Amino acid sequence: MSVLEKDPPKVVEPARATASGQPFWRRLLFVVAAYLLCLAVFAAFAATQGADPASIFTTMLQSSVLDWGTLQQTLVRSVPIVLAALACTIPARAGLVNVGGEGQIIMGSVAAVGVGLALGQAVGGPVAWLAIVAGAAVAGAVWCGICGFLRVRLNASESVTTLFFNFIAADVMLYVIYQVWREGDATSLPQSEPLTSDQLLPAVGGLQLTLAVPFMVLVVVGVWALLKYTSWGFRLTVAGGNPTAALRSGLPVRRILLGSMLAGGALAGIGGALNVMGAEGALRPGMTATFGYVAFLANFLGGSRPFPVLGAAVLFSAIANSGNGLQLSEGLNGSAVNVLLGLIVLTMLVVSGRTKEAFS
Amino acid sequence: MTTDAAPVPLLEVQGLTKRFGSLVANDDVTFTVRAGEVHGLLGENGAGKSTLVKSLYGIHQPDAGRVVVDGRDERIASPSHARDLGIGMVFQDMRLIPALTVWENIALQLRDTPRVLKPRDAQRAITDASAHYGLDVDPSALVRDLSIGEWQRAELLKVLLAGARVLILDEPTSVLTPQEADALFDVLRRLTADGVGVILIAHKIREVRQIADRVTVLRGGRTVLADTDPHELTDAELVRAMVGTSVKPVSRRPEPTDETADAPVVVSLRGASVLRPTGVLGLDGVDLDIRAGRILGVAGIAGSGQGELADLLVGVAPLRSGSMELPGLDARGTTTGDLRVAGVVDVVANPVHDYVVRGMTISDHVALWEATTAGRRRFDVRGAATTFARRDERAGLRAADPSRRLDQLSGGNIQRVLLTLALTQDARLVIASYPTRGLDVLTTERTHALLLEARDRGEAVVLVSEDLDELLALSDEVVVLHHGRVAGTVPAVDADRDRLGLLMTEGAA
Ligand SMILES: Nc1ncnc2c1ncn2[C@@H]1O[C@H](COP(=O)(O)OP(=O)(O)OP(=O)(O)O)[C@@H](O)[C@H]1O
Ligand SMILES: [Mg+2]
Repeated sequence: MSVLEKDPPKVVEPARATASGQPFWRRLLFVVAAYLLCLAVFAAFAATQGADPASIFTTMLQSSVLDWGTLQQTLVRSVPIVLAALACTIPARAGLVNVGGEGQIIMGSVAAVGVGLALGQAVGGPVAWLAIVAGAAVAGAVWCGICGFLRVRLNASESVTTLFFNFIAADVMLYVIYQVWREGDATSLPQSEPLTSDQLLPAVGGLQLTLAVPFMVLVVVGVWALLKYTSWGFRLTVAGGNPTAALRSGLPVRRILLGSMLAGGALAGIGGALNVMGAEGALRPGMTATFGYVAFLANFLGGSRPFPVLGAAVLFSAIANSGNGLQLSEGLNGSAVNVLLGLIVLTMLVVSGRTKEAFS
Repeated sequence: MTTDAAPVPLLEVQGLTKRFGSLVANDDVTFTVRAGEVHGLLGENGAGKSTLVKSLYGIHQPDAGRVVVDGRDERIASPSHARDLGIGMVFQDMRLIPALTVWENIALQLRDTPRVLKPRDAQRAITDASAHYGLDVDPSALVRDLSIGEWQRAELLKVLLAGARVLILDEPTSVLTPQEADALFDVLRRLTADGVGVILIAHKIREVRQIADRVTVLRGGRTVLADTDPHELTDAELVRAMVGTSVKPVSRRPEPTDETADAPVVVSLRGASVLRPTGVLGLDGVDLDIRAGRILGVAGIAGSGQGELADLLVGVAPLRSGSMELPGLDARGTTTGDLRVAGVVDVVANPVHDYVVRGMTISDHVALWEATTAGRRRFDVRGAATTFARRDERAGLRAADPSRRLDQLSGGNIQRVLLTLALTQDARLVIASYPTRGLDVLTTERTHALLLEARDRGEAVVLVSEDLDELLALSDEVVVLHHGRVAGTVPAVDADRDRLGLLMTEGAA
């Protein structure tokens, strides 16, 4: 009989002490206080702009989630944000930073309209939807995949290349709007030729809630399962967690990294397609409205975990939407909500820096 | 009944307890450190030694207990607070900034760093201190160019110049050759003569005998021996205190033989050269035959090409010139993946950096291992616990529970997991780099036995170590590397140590 103990030495009743030595309730207090302060600063800012700090928050809630109509808007608007945020999530698991959600959404949108116009009146309904989504996925994947290729072959930083590609994509879209698929005459608002009504996604439930919203939820669940349960997701996590260990285990690290960028780009591209098919119907300058950058923040706030990322993306979408309400009933400029968005990200940085457990 | 005869100890620890969730890493630990002593802190892997000293250095906050510094109760909030109290620590994974010079690193750390660094003054202070303590290191050298021994000396200087009077060293000797360890002990003697108190974590009984004035032994987080003079104990008693059981005498090792000298060649290198990332040749025209059923020891001072040789053999480093033939392997190609499937496995030199994946459990690592060695694309995390239990039983290294996170295990327990996998693989070629680094006495013995068993099963074993005793005890022959070249190959039977030492430092005549 050996009396040798196995590691762990001994187990007692669980204690909620943390490595940083702070009891749980103090950390909770800190987090709550930080976010309250964040809201207070925004209220003060709104007051300087002539709004009533007492009513802005109810106005914002009313114009984003409390009302069924605006809630639908919020959800519809969150579709491209969620998809582009997942486009950051997957590469982030492999240790890569994809800042190119914006460009990938745009390329997806362009491809979506391109496929739609090519199909024309002849094809509509599910076949057209699938074709459009597939085309957009390929476009997004290629756009992001180029940056992935540059990374694994030439070691060019993907966070820089994806960012540059956003500007190129914006120009590509302007070019096709003005030069290739321009609709109407020079005096009307610039816009591409639209998809046919058969190619647009039908509404489910309410008036504005299109098929894109349930599809988005499906994608989130799919990405979650992919990362958690498949060997592909496992390999990704190993490569991101310790590239040397992955290499020494004989995993094809370059292929894994490239694959993560292709998958991410495809998701953002699909986000672009859903935005066109579910909300816009055509290409229009500025239509992506920095969705890609907001998505990057949403992924960050959600810690690269699909469900929290979904929550963060919907939250950001709600905040953006609430800008309309502020403009209408409080006389604030709609973009004032960007201040709140910035404050939330800042608060979150402080909170996570402060409460992180000190491992060493 | 005055007690002023006994001087106030530098450091007193009373009833210190530290938990991680439900795991008690330190349980009611009590001991004292006096001025002018080397206090050995001993215990098997996972006993809680590193956790204890991290609490003393302000990295962890204990859940209970008192820490008394110079007679005053202190709550050590952070490492900088610890330094202010005169407590310094040298970590096993070094903390200097590689891109800076030695003096810049040290100047950054000083309590009264001037706004504008004065190179001349700083360098003089460092030169004075290194002369005083016998810590030989060039202040203007870039840290990244230092050998591991020099690096450690620079780290020690940094801590001493910051005014440490209690010096904590966590397994400093595990990365040193016995000669380097002796030199370190000379330094420690000078420090204690100046009144510094040293807490030294070490696993080797020989080292404890050599340097420790008193010892404290932890087991399962508890103090089983506190503040004891090691000379009052026999080796067997010391080991029993650590592992809680009497150790059976280890069966004599089989003598190295020449019978297998012409056994089939598994891997053959001819003129093999490998580039380092820095662009210089790490391995330079090496001819080597690695044979089945033999242990090939690799000796050399640190950085002589051992790492590049291991990387080449597992397919991580490409050949720059020369050839690598694999007559004894049925390999599809020479990628790491192909070689693994063909039965080439390695114990990496630095598992924390090159093996452990942050956030993943032991089961995850096992699944990764099983899939990549079998050439499967599917990872079976659930089945991993079962296969690991089988391997654990076979290896007898008492690895931790597979549901635990690998990055949260103690250094030695991480090593045990890796060894359990590599030495139960029934491989064709095992490359073991410093396999017993950081292991406690018993586990070291068991690992040696496993390496010999692997050899007797017919596996080709390449054993890289900085410990000549270990190399000579296990190897059938020893190849000495010097500046990336083979300086000589010596049969381990009746090996001439002086000749080996000369080959290591001077190269081939
Ligand atoms: N940050 C952490 N989170 C959870 N458990 C931890 C953490 N750090 C250490 N432990 C656990 O505490 C116990 C003691 O670990 P410690 O590192 O102190 O051992 P050790 O005596 O230094 O061993 P070794 O000789 O292997 O270095 C181990 O069971 C270890 O897994
Ligand atoms: Mg330790």
